[in-house]
Amino acid sequence: MMQKFISSVQIILLLSWTTVCLFGQSFPGKPKIVRCRSLEKDTFSCWWKPGSDGRLPTNYTLFYSKDSEEKIYECPDYRTSGPNSCYFDKKHTNHRTTYNITVMATNEFGSNSSDPQYVDVTCIVQPDSPVDLSLETKTSAGVTDLWAKWSPPPSAHNSSSWHVYHYELRFKPEEEEKWETVSVGVQTQYKVVKLNAGLKYGVQVRCMLDCGEWSEWSPERQIQIPNGQSPPEKPTIIKCRSPEKETFTCWWKPGLDGGHPTNYTLLYSKEGEEQIYECPDYRTAGPNSCYFDKKHTSFWTIYNITVKATNEMGSNSSDPHYVDVTYIVQPDPPVNVTLELKKPINRKPYLVLTWFPPPLADVRSGWLTLEYELRLKPEEGEEWETIFVGQQTQYKMFSLNPGKKYIVQIHCKPDHHGSWSEWSSEKYIQIPSDYRVKDMIVWIIVGVLSSLICLIMSWTMVLKGYRMIAFILPPVPGPKIKGIDTHLLEAGKSEELLSALGCHGFPPTSDCEELLIEYLEVEDSEDQQLRQSHNNGHPGKNAKMTSKETDSDSGRGSCDSPSLLSEKCRESCTLPSKLPSQDVREIHENNAGKKGWETQCVASSEDKALPFNIAGTKSSTWPAANTHPSTFAYHSTVDAQKITLSTTNVNAAPVLVGNEEKHQSRYSTSETLCEENLEKQREMENMHSKNDQSTIQVNQNKLNEKSSFLNAKIMDYVEVHKVRQDENSAVLLKHKENNGKIEKYTISGNSKEYTKVSTVVDHNILVLMPDPRVQHTPVYQEPAKEMSQTLQQGQVEKNMSYCLPVPSECQREAGGSEYMDPSSFMPSFK
Amino acid sequence: CHTSRMPTPKGKELAQNLPREELTHLILKLLQAWKEPLSHFNQHIEHHQELSDDSLSKAKQISNMVHELKTGVEKVTEKARFSINSLNGMASSEAAGLSISNEANLMSDSDFIHCFRRDSNKVQSYLKILKCKIMPENSC
Repeated sequence: MMQKFISSVQIILLLSWTTVCLFGQSFPGKPKIVRCRSLEKDTFSCWWKPGSDGRLPTNYTLFYSKDSEEKIYECPDYRTSGPNSCYFDKKHTNHRTTYNITVMATNEFGSNSSDPQYVDVTCIVQPDSPVDLSLETKTSAGVTDLWAKWSPPPSAHNSSSWHVYHYELRFKPEEEEKWETVSVGVQTQYKVVKLNAGLKYGVQVRCMLDCGEWSEWSPERQIQIPNGQSPPEKPTIIKCRSPEKETFTCWWKPGLDGGHPTNYTLLYSKEGEEQIYECPDYRTAGPNSCYFDKKHTSFWTIYNITVKATNEMGSNSSDPHYVDVTYIVQPDPPVNVTLELKKPINRKPYLVLTWFPPPLADVRSGWLTLEYELRLKPEEGEEWETIFVGQQTQYKMFSLNPGKKYIVQIHCKPDHHGSWSEWSSEKYIQIPSDYRVKDMIVWIIVGVLSSLICLIMSWTMVLKGYRMIAFILPPVPGPKIKGIDTHLLEAGKSEELLSALGCHGFPPTSDCEELLIEYLEVEDSEDQQLRQSHNNGHPGKNAKMTSKETDSDSGRGSCDSPSLLSEKCRESCTLPSKLPSQDVREIHENNAGKKGWETQCVASSEDKALPFNIAGTKSSTWPAANTHPSTFAYHSTVDAQKITLSTTNVNAAPVLVGNEEKHQSRYSTSETLCEENLEKQREMENMHSKNDQSTIQVNQNKLNEKSSFLNAKIMDYVEVHKVRQDENSAVLLKHKENNGKIEKYTISGNSKEYTKVSTVVDHNILVLMPDPRVQHTPVYQEPAKEMSQTLQQGQVEKNMSYCLPVPSECQREAGGSEYMDPSSFMPSFK
Repeated sequence: CHTSRMPTPKGKELAQNLPREELTHLILKLLQAWKEPLSHFNQHIEHHQELSDDSLSKAKQISNMVHELKTGVEKVTEKARFSINSLNGMASSEAAGLSISNEANLMSDSDFIHCFRRDSNKVQSYLKILKCKIMPENSC
């Protein structure tokens, strides 16, 4: 029974054990941190060995804390160093800290953590090798010691401040393989003894921190242990110098002495001589030097110098060195450098720098001539300014900044071949700051004055701002259209305006027509009365004009004004358009010996139409006209206006008045034509008054001179030269060919006299025909007839009336007053 | 150098101890000795392709300067009324100069230049000493 029981229990245990074994899962075993190493600088890794994993997948996590901090970090990198490792990169590696590391294994059942491992980073990082290993052999008493010196590795982190390096040195002869290692301790030098002379040895050294690892071995240095048997090495001559061109010194550098005390001798020979001399003085100039005094110094001869090193084993000579003393002169620096600040009156103070040549140089006899050079810079400055001074021993400096501190140095050189001396010791200059009261006063005054001026300016601006502005920026004048009174326009009094233009009523009424017709009727002697009546009318009109004169001076739409008449009179002047033909006809009929008109007041439907005046020359012809009623050169509205004016100004122009009647028709015609231009005539009056003198004179002249002509047709009609198609479509009348002068228009047989309007062509062109009645131009009669015939046909195209505008220049010449100046017309009608 | 045989003082004291006339004579002798060789040298180097025009012009300039210097020194001696037996001295030196010049023609170019450099330095130093002897007030 018992046996059975026991066996069952065993079976059960076995079963359970098996089960457990088969399915045995428990929490993991304890991992163990194997080691931590630093493979690279500033990084390290830790490896652990997992415990039993309890047959379940187990996660391993590494936790660490630094020093005694509470915070726990997790491993930053599980992969880099392989499985079961943790890699601490640079960021996580702190050299001064001690890491407390534990690894925890976790599975479904639970977790188990390893024992903590304390890691001092410094100790696990491998240090760098020692540097600057130098070897030196010292032979004394036949025994040669090798001294090795080095420096600890440069520690960038200062982490080894409390860590001490231990050093180890090893050496071996070159040919052998095995190193002999010596522990040095904490010192950085070591004497290696018992070296075989004559062999070449290699030496290395390495270090270790007290808790860490050994560094790598430093690079090998080799040294030859001098054999006591060898002769010395060849010395070399460094340089030879003469400070004052009287003596000189040579220095050499010894080579290795081969283990025995070595003697050095300097031997020289001169050019051209065979004899060899030895250095006269080894001492004066110091060790390894030779001093040649005056006696032994010759110039312009080449020295052949060699140095011989001698020891027990033998001797060795240096290479020969050839020297001509003349060319090796290097003087001492100048002495007694003094500065003096000189302050002349009324001038800026300047600095005088003086110095003396070096004492040894014999400048007085001229044997050695020195040239000097100085350099200076401001104390804070970086670059020196070098000034070559020449042979003088003083220098004046003018251009220094006051208040600043300067450093000055001088050096010298022989004027011929040679080298520069050393710079003299630094000399400091302080420039006194130049604060003159005068300057400040001047500036203060200037400031006060300018502020005063500004104040005044601002005051004037404030008070008379507008005027100033107007003065500075004159207002842009608006367009002035002749014939239009802008003020009237603005005022909106169109009626007045229109009346000003001479168009009574708008649209034109029959009045206009009547008047025009009226005027037309007046002709020659028959109509003198009429003329007179008209004349009377004129004054009235003139009076009107005068009354209206007070209106603006612009836009008196007369025939004269090139502008606006067209506009305003467009319709009102339809009648006038007829005028030419009528006029001509009438004139033709009357046969009064008058000349036809040249001038028509033509208003074109186009805006361009401007009152035109066919004019011969203006005033010149007009006088003629004056004298001869029959001859009437009506050049322009100007003239017409003049005439008009003359009618009114009896006093002014007696001559003119005389002919007034005769010209009444003209005037009237002109007036009618230019009825719109009543105002304008007023203008003309005014203008005429200006020109009275000239015209009168001309008239008088004409009268005087050309009396004979007066009877004849004096009309001086100017050929139509061309029609200006520009804005002011003007018909320019050609000056008469026979007349050399503008003033004189003598009527000759050759001249054509176009007194009548023949036809109107092309809206712009007025074809004139000579007056067929003019007897002294029989030549033209036919054409005149023809023309008259054509005229009679009444070819008026398109109701277009043209006003030949006064050339704009003339208007301009009137000074912008828009009064035409007859005198100004003269040139334009050339 | 062809002028090496001329007895010239080789030190300051030696030069200073010379009387003025002798020094002047020496200078003139030296200058005279170089007159011929220089012109010969100029002719010689004109055919050198590798020399730049500057060098050639410089060489000509130098020979001119030597000539002018000699003339100047002669004038100075006249003015200072040195009682140098210049005529005799020059005559003899002329002869010597000719022989020397022949020697000079045999020198290589670099030697020629080297010798000339040295002798011009000599002349310069002697002249300076002479100057300070005659007119000690000017920067002496």
